[in-house]
Amino acid sequence: MTTSLVLRFAVRDWRSGELRLLLAALLVAVGAVSAISLFVDRLQRALVAESTSFLAADRVVDSSREIPESFRDRARQQGLEIADLITFPSMVSATASVEAADTYPRGQGKAVADNAKLASVKAATRGYPLRGVLRTTEQPFTPGKVTDQVPKRGEVWMDSRLFPALGVHVGDSITVGYEDFTVAAVLASEPDRGGSFFEFAPRLLMRAEDVPATRVVQPGSRIGYRLLLAGPEDGLATLKDAIQEELAPNYRWRSIRDANETIDRALGRAESFLLLGGLLAVLLAGIAVALGANRYAKRHFDHVSVLKTLGATPGEIQWGYIGVLFVIGVAGSLLGLLLGAVVHLGIIGAIGEFLPVALPLPGPRPILVGLATGFICLLAFALPPLLGLKNISPMRVIRRDLAVGVAPAVTYGFATAGSLGLLVWYSGSFFLTVWALLGGVVAGGAFASLALLLLRGGRVLGMQAGSIWRLALAGLQRRYRENVAQIMIFGIAIMLLLIMLLVRTGLIDEWRAQIPENTPNHFVMNVAAAEAPAVQTLLTQKAGYEGEMFPMIRGRITAVNDLPAVEWRRKIRAERRAGGPQGRGGPGIRGERNLTFADELPENNVVIAGEWWDGEPATPSISLEDEYASNLGLSVGDTIAFDIGGLPLVATVANLRRVEWDSLRPNFFIIFSPGALDGYPATYMTSFFLDGTEKRFLNELLSAHPTITVIEVDAIITQVRSIIDRVTQAVELVLYLVLAAGALVLIASIQSSRDQRLKEHALLRALGGTRKLISGALASEFAILGLFAGLVAVVGAEITVYALNSQVFELGTSLHPWLWLAGPTLGMAVIATVGYLGTRKLVHSPPVTVLREV
Amino acid sequence: MPTAEGELTILAGVELSVDGGAQLAIVGESGSGKTTLLGILAGLDLPSSGDVWLDGDRITAMGEEDRARVRARCVGFVFQSFQLIDSLTALENVMLPLELRGDGQAKGGAREFLDRVGLAARTTHYPRQLSGGEQQRVAIARAFASRPKILFADEPTGNLDTHTGERVANLLFDLNREAGTTLVLVTHDAALAGRCGATITLEAGHMKHTA
Repeated sequence: MTTSLVLRFAVRDWRSGELRLLLAALLVAVGAVSAISLFVDRLQRALVAESTSFLAADRVVDSSREIPESFRDRARQQGLEIADLITFPSMVSATASVEAADTYPRGQGKAVADNAKLASVKAATRGYPLRGVLRTTEQPFTPGKVTDQVPKRGEVWMDSRLFPALGVHVGDSITVGYEDFTVAAVLASEPDRGGSFFEFAPRLLMRAEDVPATRVVQPGSRIGYRLLLAGPEDGLATLKDAIQEELAPNYRWRSIRDANETIDRALGRAESFLLLGGLLAVLLAGIAVALGANRYAKRHFDHVSVLKTLGATPGEIQWGYIGVLFVIGVAGSLLGLLLGAVVHLGIIGAIGEFLPVALPLPGPRPILVGLATGFICLLAFALPPLLGLKNISPMRVIRRDLAVGVAPAVTYGFATAGSLGLLVWYSGSFFLTVWALLGGVVAGGAFASLALLLLRGGRVLGMQAGSIWRLALAGLQRRYRENVAQIMIFGIAIMLLLIMLLVRTGLIDEWRAQIPENTPNHFVMNVAAAEAPAVQTLLTQKAGYEGEMFPMIRGRITAVNDLPAVEWRRKIRAERRAGGPQGRGGPGIRGERNLTFADELPENNVVIAGEWWDGEPATPSISLEDEYASNLGLSVGDTIAFDIGGLPLVATVANLRRVEWDSLRPNFFIIFSPGALDGYPATYMTSFFLDGTEKRFLNELLSAHPTITVIEVDAIITQVRSIIDRVTQAVELVLYLVLAAGALVLIASIQSSRDQRLKEHALLRALGGTRKLISGALASEFAILGLFAGLVAVVGAEITVYALNSQVFELGTSLHPWLWLAGPTLGMAVIATVGYLGTRKLVHSPPVTVLREV
Repeated sequence: MPTAEGELTILAGVELSVDGGAQLAIVGESGSGKTTLLGILAGLDLPSSGDVWLDGDRITAMGEEDRARVRARCVGFVFQSFQLIDSLTALENVMLPLELRGDGQAKGGAREFLDRVGLAARTTHYPRQLSGGEQQRVAIARAFASRPKILFADEPTGNLDTHTGERVANLLFDLNREAGTTLVLVTHDAALAGRCGATITLEAGHMKHTA
């Protein structure tokens, strides 16, 4: 057949409506996939850009030693942007400020202003931050404006809380080490505020070039050096390979994933979910394509036999239909891409205000994914039924019963190979694909048996029912093969939708639970025992605070199991070198730790060895954080001697805890049993929630209690929450796209069985069945199919969600009782409605017309 | 043909030849095998044994591909159930065999034949918008449009009322005479068979009577 003839056939088939379903299915397949791909691609780029701002760079090299110049040279060779940071703690004092004394309520002149405060100094080169932004303001505790500058030489920017503490204003002078600086601005926020959430001291930002003049950097000072890197991924990877050997053991290469576990987990799961969504959309659309193609092929049995009598050869027929398919493929894929682009723009428009100002442009992958999806869908799902057409006997023009299909093995083989290939390629995740497919296969087998059972059972029950139901159930039983298939298709579609819904709900709940509303976003520390009631009162009155203050006592380990701490450490190290259990990191044995005591196991802590105490144990007991204990070589039953403010205390390790450090709550390595620390000098700490608009309260609090330390983590919480919100929106959106694909499958499936059903019912009408009886029977048939499909879907969904949650998303899972009611009800309502609407027109036309048409 | 009840013989010992331009009627009762014979003669089906020669070609020795080419070259059909493609208009249906041949003038040729069967005004109508008689006239136009050497007709008036059937039969024979086409007609209508030059009667798959 010539190309023009094929084109004309395609146009004629289109005009007669025969290709519409196929094209629509293809459109949704390509549209859904490319919309998801485009959006995910751009969102991922945006999320990565957003989350790299936590590092203020794409990658960071961290060390307590100076960064070798060779690293910088190599980075420049790769065309990467670089910036240097030096961080160190330093005492800061106001140089002189008489006027300031009047402005702060309790600031008693120089008495307060002369107070030196410990600041966490960050010295940066120009260009910092490479990712994210700095915000500055003129007044402490007011929102900042974005700036692309760093302080000028001789100037510093300071955290709001340093201003009342030092009694200074913008424009005043402060002293760091041996050098005086002008306070040029209030530093409102910095992207990489907390490498750990507990950088206690307030920030002072200065220029790296000014550090030598302060003379604070001496051998033995606690200094951190950071080389910030930003640029294309391949450049970063090349750099990492090049300096790999020089990195260990003194330099650490960090990416965003190392920087924050909460975000890492949220991103990882969101990616998995979006992929799952895209995957299900492809599968659903694939089913719709297969149904559309099947119907198209069936309707062309006569067409082909006529063409054959007119002299078309089998070869011409085959290539002709492949040609039509190709035309549809090109049209469907291009239109689908367009649809995908429009849908994804619509999404961006709808949630634009939550998105970063400019989403990065997409790469070429989404477009390729969309186009390939269209063609693979056609090859795998639409080609097999059409391949059978060339075998149609021309004798069919005379004897209509001669129908030749394509061998089921071919159809299923193509579909399975196609889905598998498409899914693995698309998701890039073998795991996810296997789980989804396994779910599909198991569900398929189980569904078929269950559906058959339901149909048989329904028929028996139907004997006792009224005429409409009897007719419907008899009809279902008569064509049980087709109906089992249809229940499976409906069931799988509903199941996939339920899976999406359940997993999405689980994910979002989990994310929201991580950072609930009103999560404490400020910590107060170093509250003297005498001041504690006053601070508590102030917090209660002004910040709606309801919690308790935690005692916090500084103490040091002096001996373990009667061995002095230093010797214990030596013993453990010797054992490790000899191949004993290795430590997992954490602070060392020397140095002061914050100790506390507690009746109850703190929230977000889980005891993993030993038992939590009940009431007040007879002898002092302690609970250790798991990794800390492992690093020190400690286990349950060991005795530890402490020096607390010069006083000795011996306690036994009662249990080990796992602590969720990201929980944004006060966490302790060492917790004593209640009563054990009575009489030791304690300071108090707590955390509280303060709305962003109430920040001025901090000014009041710090002026009233200048010795306490306030740590603001609200910026970090806001950042984490905004990332999670965005991910959540993406997840919901994908759910809607999958819903659309599912709806199409339902329509396609109803369409594909429409002819057969209508023919039967037209006959019934010709035999005198009333319109009401027929409509009722049709609606009942669809309702019963929907009910059965819903039941089957719930079973499948529960199993698959269990597998997905436990294997992929690492979420807890349980049965969903509401689903067992909702699934079948939904299936019944939706399928009866769509089925009724899809067949209503023909039920209302005269039976002769119907008989002639089908 | 093997069946559950053993071998079933549908046709046996059928031997006939039709000269170019001749008209042959095959008659017999339902189930006598006349439709099967027509299918085999036209190369739509293959016999389990025996040979068929069509326009000088031994089509029983050919594959489906080659038989289709023979059909395209020299065979036309008219069926009892019209067999128009309902997604195509009347004109497009008539154009089909010409297009399959790669005829550049398909549209003009098709129009001419639609005009000849009196349906010039219905070119853009779809089969379901036409009456049975009109549909069969479109089918006749389609059969003659490719100017076949042999026309096979399977109960061409079987689905039509007497009056319409007669008009359609007249049209068929008129066009046949004009074009000098060989006609092989299957019918159980004695009157229609009587209009052909020769008749064979089938009884349970055997040729009983030749006239």
